[in-house]
Amino acid sequence: MSAEQFQLSFSPLTGVAFGPDRTQVAVSPNNNEAQIYKRSGDSWNLETTLAEHDKLITAISWAPQTNQIVTCSQDRNAYVWTLTDGIWKPMLVLLRINRAATCVKWSPKEDKFAVGSGARTIAICSFDEENNWWVSKHIKKPLRSTVLSLDWHPNNVLLAAGAADAKAYVFSAFIKGVDAKPEPTVWGDRLPFGTICGEFSSPSGGWIHDVAFSPSGDVLAYVSHDSTISIVYPSAPGEPPAAHISVRCPSLPYLALSFVSESSLIAAGHDCQPVVYSGSSDGWTLSQSLDDPNNASKLTPSSTGNRVSSGGVGRLNNEAFAHFRSADTKGQSKSSTASNVAGLTPVGADGLLKTVHQNSITWVEPYEWGQGGEVTKVSTAGKDGKLVVWPISGAGKAGGLAGKMSGLSM
Amino acid sequence: MSTAFRKINIDAFDEDVLLPSDLYDPDPRGVDGVTAESKQKAQEARNLVSKGDTAGALNAILSNPPYGEGVDDAKATTTSALLTILNSTRSADIAGVLKGLGEEQQGHLMAYLYKGMEGLGQGSDQSGSVLLTWHEKLVEVAGIGAIVRVMTDRRLL
Repeated sequence: MSAEQFQLSFSPLTGVAFGPDRTQVAVSPNNNEAQIYKRSGDSWNLETTLAEHDKLITAISWAPQTNQIVTCSQDRNAYVWTLTDGIWKPMLVLLRINRAATCVKWSPKEDKFAVGSGARTIAICSFDEENNWWVSKHIKKPLRSTVLSLDWHPNNVLLAAGAADAKAYVFSAFIKGVDAKPEPTVWGDRLPFGTICGEFSSPSGGWIHDVAFSPSGDVLAYVSHDSTISIVYPSAPGEPPAAHISVRCPSLPYLALSFVSESSLIAAGHDCQPVVYSGSSDGWTLSQSLDDPNNASKLTPSSTGNRVSSGGVGRLNNEAFAHFRSADTKGQSKSSTASNVAGLTPVGADGLLKTVHQNSITWVEPYEWGQGGEVTKVSTAGKDGKLVVWPISGAGKAGGLAGKMSGLSM
Repeated sequence: MSTAFRKINIDAFDEDVLLPSDLYDPDPRGVDGVTAESKQKAQEARNLVSKGDTAGALNAILSNPPYGEGVDDAKATTTSALLTILNSTRSADIAGVLKGLGEEQQGHLMAYLYKGMEGLGQGSDQSGSVLLTWHEKLVEVAGIGAIVRVMTDRRLL
């Protein structure tokens, strides 16, 4: 089974969120509107357009149980959309921020959501029954720069944030009257609003593009602009982490990541292909690329960058032309077979990338789960306007990976 | 249209400005500690390279390089010692030497290569082709990720 790809837009997708049953998807085609597509067979058809924002929509989140959509935008606003009588109705959220909202995510219980912003603030929003609107509480300290990503812990209280000040944080987003007192976790036992439960950075610095909790919430992973993926295993509140693993990648930086099990995660970014990392508190390694696993040699980091295209003979596609063009546009003097730079995304002689995505991947999330709860498909979206659904082969599944890893350690 | 407004420092009106030094932890060794350690390591590296032990010399100079503000002397000392090592290595030996380095040292070496290129054409007698050869071989081993890490790192050499 190969990847299914859908060209939803010819501009970058700036926010992506699937509906509850995964037959609908809300995306923003890099403008101030969010579009809802419905799947029928092998295509996605435009169903509704949500137009209320003035400026570019930066993120969308869709609550699966309560069927509410929240969108946030560079116009410093967020709207919660609810479906009433077949029409999506917006409700303004009082964010009280003076810079663009950059990311948004519903909490697991869907009774609150978090909005990151360029105002060095995270707004934790909850519904005020009395006044019938969404109000927000701010986490400001110790954020020093724009918040770029958020992820909720499964206990509905802890929130991870990645920021442009090169730090990944774990905060308590406990809201009195909304949350019950949470069970103690490895991150902390007393958790008033705004408590800092963790603050981590990457060995070479670099702003944090995305953060993710593992399914249990006991592990935090983040990807940063220094082409590093870091995984933190906390030990106890106030103690240094039991393990803080940083994997230096040979490729360009990753922009998004998502756990598929406690021992494996998918990362994707500027190298245009989703890759599977697997490991434990003893160490993590790149195990495979989801993009064409049968031809893994071209995609593993140590392999050759460019390969000869098998494309037909044409006036603009012959070897000499490609040779001069690559010398001209990419500064490559050798023929395209000779390059052996590690971590380079392979380019065909036709100038197109040999990967499915033709530009940076900005979003990755599990798409389908098997009967045992294991992730069987993941989806990615990127700046090329494509939405791609990838099957995870046996090696990517939790059981298969564990088996593979134990084999490796022997 | 006038573009003068682009030069206005809008951060001057902000009470809580993010400074470059806020983006990394300061060196725990302090300015004096860094300077002394760098001098000693540079000397050690020069001794090793005169005995023909290129790998040992690189290992010595690439551990805990100086970074941050106020340690320009230490940076200059280590950079010049490192360039001596690079210049005295035959190009056929480069790949073997690089494979013996750890990931962290490869990263530091990449930073020094860019630091060396910065000095080109500013009166230094360093040859650019030596740096480019090392750069090419290092990218083959460490990947383009190593270049990204140097560009991203705020702990400048």
